[in-house]
Amino acid sequence: MFAPGPARDSRFVVKERWIECANFPIGHPEQVGQFLHRQMNEEVDSLESSARNLSDFPDAPWEIRLHLARQCADEARHARMFRRLFEKRDGKVGQYPVLNFQYRIITQFNSLAARLAIQNRSFEAGGLDAITDSIRQAREDGDLELAELYEAQVADEISHVRFANEWIRTLSEGNPANLLRIAQAMQTASLAFVAVMGKEGVEGVSYPADREGRLEAGFTRDEVEITAKLMSKDA
Amino acid sequence: MGLSVQDRGRTVATFRHIHVEMMETLAQWTPSAPEMEVKLMLGEHIWDVAQNADALGKRTRELRLPLQHSIKPADPYAGLLADIRKEADTARRLGSFYDVLLPGLESRFRAYLDQTDELLDGPTVRILQQIQDVQSRMMKQSRKLRAELPELGKVDGEWLKALTRRESQIASVVA
Repeated sequence: MFAPGPARDSRFVVKERWIECANFPIGHPEQVGQFLHRQMNEEVDSLESSARNLSDFPDAPWEIRLHLARQCADEARHARMFRRLFEKRDGKVGQYPVLNFQYRIITQFNSLAARLAIQNRSFEAGGLDAITDSIRQAREDGDLELAELYEAQVADEISHVRFANEWIRTLSEGNPANLLRIAQAMQTASLAFVAVMGKEGVEGVSYPADREGRLEAGFTRDEVEITAKLMSKDA
Repeated sequence: MGLSVQDRGRTVATFRHIHVEMMETLAQWTPSAPEMEVKLMLGEHIWDVAQNADALGKRTRELRLPLQHSIKPADPYAGLLADIRKEADTARRLGSFYDVLLPGLESRFRAYLDQTDELLDGPTVRILQQIQDVQSRMMKQSRKLRAELPELGKVDGEWLKALTRRESQIASVVA
């Protein structure tokens, strides 16, 4: 269910499961800092996954490779954005344990269509929902700096999801076997995600689907409504 | 007599191949480099090099070759690229890429610009000048990173000199 993880320097303590990390409740003085640190590392994971997609699939259409290269730069910039805010708030890189589960789940698949479906169409699309809700929360809390960071991030992530949506359709129309690969990958990825997060990592986590963002990111209206309904059932 | 359209096409397509290889090299190095700061710099540079490859690839079509056409470089240069790609140590990776490969390409671009006709081959001239600016920024960023993290600059001077010699002894990248 997991490929080997990416390299990390000695500042970082890498854990395998969410329960092993520092998970502070909302309102705890370290909760935001810990979240910024976690997000910083997850953006590095995204960079590394996109980089692997480039190096592992040299025969992919050039247009997709250009999008992947752009995604590498965007994710690197996101990591810098989170780091900048974290250090401004007196955080130190390596202060909290990190997970590299996204990279380890995505890179086990040997199909680019499957990897795009997991990384961009699932993880990042789910991120649109979480980030949009976080923008609202940050503004309510008066944390305009954080809200600004999220707004810049979500604009980029919409592009990442959009190109994946477009290209998965193209890749699947060209080779319908890709649909089966995607379905199998989604099932494996779901099991892996549950293994990492455990019940503790998902309990009480609830926010609505970002309908507008998902439409902008190339999901169809039907897909958006299905997701919205599922997410409201989980609430 | 200057370069023919065919000569220009072959050279631009070869430059494109080299840039795609460089993009793949940086991409391959990103997850395996332990240092976060290196990963983030490589991530940005992957996009820089990809855009350079894209510009060259659009130009190949204008030079009567297919769009985004790549021609494998001469064997000695292809071998050099392959050996650099295999490097596992971060300091050697950075040294080989930013202190040997990019300056070497800079010389080759200058040689091409000296040889081609600025008017007849205007679009290529412009593309290479833009690539030179991008590469100059990339090299500056790598020097800044190694100044901030001196461990990343600790590479065997003799090894680096030998690699530089090897690169400079390759007369032409065009097969």
